[in-house]
Amino acid sequence: MSAMVIERELDRLEGLWSEGLAELYRSYLEEVGRHEPELQPRLALAAALVEVGVRLQGLGAAAAPPAALLMGDLCLARSSRILTDSASQPIQVAFARAVEELAGAAASSTEAPAVRQLLIRALAAH
Amino acid sequence: MIAHRLRFESTHPTQFIDLTDRIRDEVRRSGLTAGRIHLQSLHTTLGLAVNENEPLLLRDFAGLLERLAPGDGTYEHDDFTRRIDVASDEPVNGHAHCRQLLLTGFATLLVEDGELVLGRWQSVFAVELDGPRQRQLAFQLDGDFAKRPAAHRDDLVELELTRLLMVDPEPVAAPMRRLMEAGGKRLRPRLVQLTAQLGPQYEPLRTAGLAAAVEILHNATLVHDDYVDESTHRRGRPTVAAAEGPERAIAVGDYYFAKATRLIAETGNNDVTQTIAAALEAICESQIDDVALRGAFPGDHDSYLRVVRGKTAALFAAACASGAQLSKAGPEVVDALWRYGDLLGVAFQMADDMVDFSPSSGKPVGLDIRQRVLSLPLIYAAEDREVGPEVRRLLAGALGDDEVARVAQLVASSPALQRVGDEARGLVEEAVRELEKVELNGLRPTLIGLARAAVDRDS
Repeated sequence: MSAMVIERELDRLEGLWSEGLAELYRSYLEEVGRHEPELQPRLALAAALVEVGVRLQGLGAAAAPPAALLMGDLCLARSSRILTDSASQPIQVAFARAVEELAGAAASSTEAPAVRQLLIRALAAH
Repeated sequence: MIAHRLRFESTHPTQFIDLTDRIRDEVRRSGLTAGRIHLQSLHTTLGLAVNENEPLLLRDFAGLLERLAPGDGTYEHDDFTRRIDVASDEPVNGHAHCRQLLLTGFATLLVEDGELVLGRWQSVFAVELDGPRQRQLAFQLDGDFAKRPAAHRDDLVELELTRLLMVDPEPVAAPMRRLMEAGGKRLRPRLVQLTAQLGPQYEPLRTAGLAAAVEILHNATLVHDDYVDESTHRRGRPTVAAAEGPERAIAVGDYYFAKATRLIAETGNNDVTQTIAAALEAICESQIDDVALRGAFPGDHDSYLRVVRGKTAALFAAACASGAQLSKAGPEVVDALWRYGDLLGVAFQMADDMVDFSPSSGKPVGLDIRQRVLSLPLIYAAEDREVGPEVRRLLAGALGDDEVARVAQLVASSPALQRVGDEARGLVEEAVRELEKVELNGLRPTLIGLARAAVDRDS
């Protein structure tokens, strides 16, 4: 993904890049090697946005203040849009199921699988 | 009277296409109990016939047409050197026009006890004479209708919502069920259902699934909104955040946000998925703007429009466009419906703002003032020469019961509500003009009525 494309996809989320999003993005890049090269950055960014998003919201922990919740919502929405633009239907569905699983566990106060584990599984969906 | 179009595709130069089942379905769906269905071919090389669907007989008919107007015969219509204004893709089809003259382009069938009246061997055919082509028949149903002809469609969405929530974990399903059961206008799913009838591939069950997913998505955003706005009640009941705590509200919102996007992805229609995803992103961005603007409360008209276009209108527009996309309507229809939904959404929000000042709405007056929510009547009142200074002074300070009541009184006494009402109705008329630009299979009056009703309300 060119720097310009990353910049566009981070519109309004720029501040998160230096606060852990960049690091997560790089870590997910290592998990998307089986996909087409041009898709890899988008998939990695989508996964990183989900992980940052649920963290910002405080999902499964203490509720975030409204401003952080809205920022987390935007991360999830952006991730979803990136996936619809570039990922296959099974991956879109698997990402959604990952968030359903996390949110369902959070609402039930049961232990959820690690976010990363769920998202890596979603990235492998086909 | 109900008017509609029946679209289909022929695959052969001459073809008898049996439309009996589709016409029966239209009659049943319409709720017509006793009356008539009028059919009209919209083409000069497509006829109509009521006859027996027996393959050898259909070959006899084709043979008869060939003998009476042979395909390799000479027709003056095909001599392009003698015709004016001949299109570059004009087909050589004099034989097809002549054959159509032997058939009819019209048919009226009777309906009794909610069923098409046909003899044992009778079938209704569209007769293709110059295929293969995309074709359409206009039809009108008139007579006595069951009281709620749309009930089936509405019921389908409610059933789908019930079914979808039934399989979810109770900690998320119970609060969402309470929110859904408390009411809501179900405008967005209604728009999906209407616009999904415009393309050639209308599938009621698939449409109900998309409509339900859009409604779930809308309600998921409300769950988070209520936490952000610190609202204690919605639709007369405690909000999820108030009843279950903010942690649960965040989880419920996330769960249904994800579930709705999954259901939409599972439609397998990428245009639909992209339309909804773009709307969701616009909603989230404008929520951030909305909260940011509360520092400059009550804001200005341009900021208001920017926020409302994302916060409310984006999902209206997406509902309209995605229904049409699901049924494979043409891009010009999808675009016109998107613009209609966008304008309707803004007008709807303006009407919603006015409800906050209506004592007959059943809601506490001045809730938007108390919560410092962006509201056009407040913006106009703050700009007003007479009441503006006092409104601005009150809004700049702490807002207790007395201040809220006074601001509401000042807004009601100013021309602000009238201005907002006029603006909302103007937007609806603009939305209606968008509908005039495209073919809408007889649904235009319904969409116009829905738009006008959305702004002429007090709840």
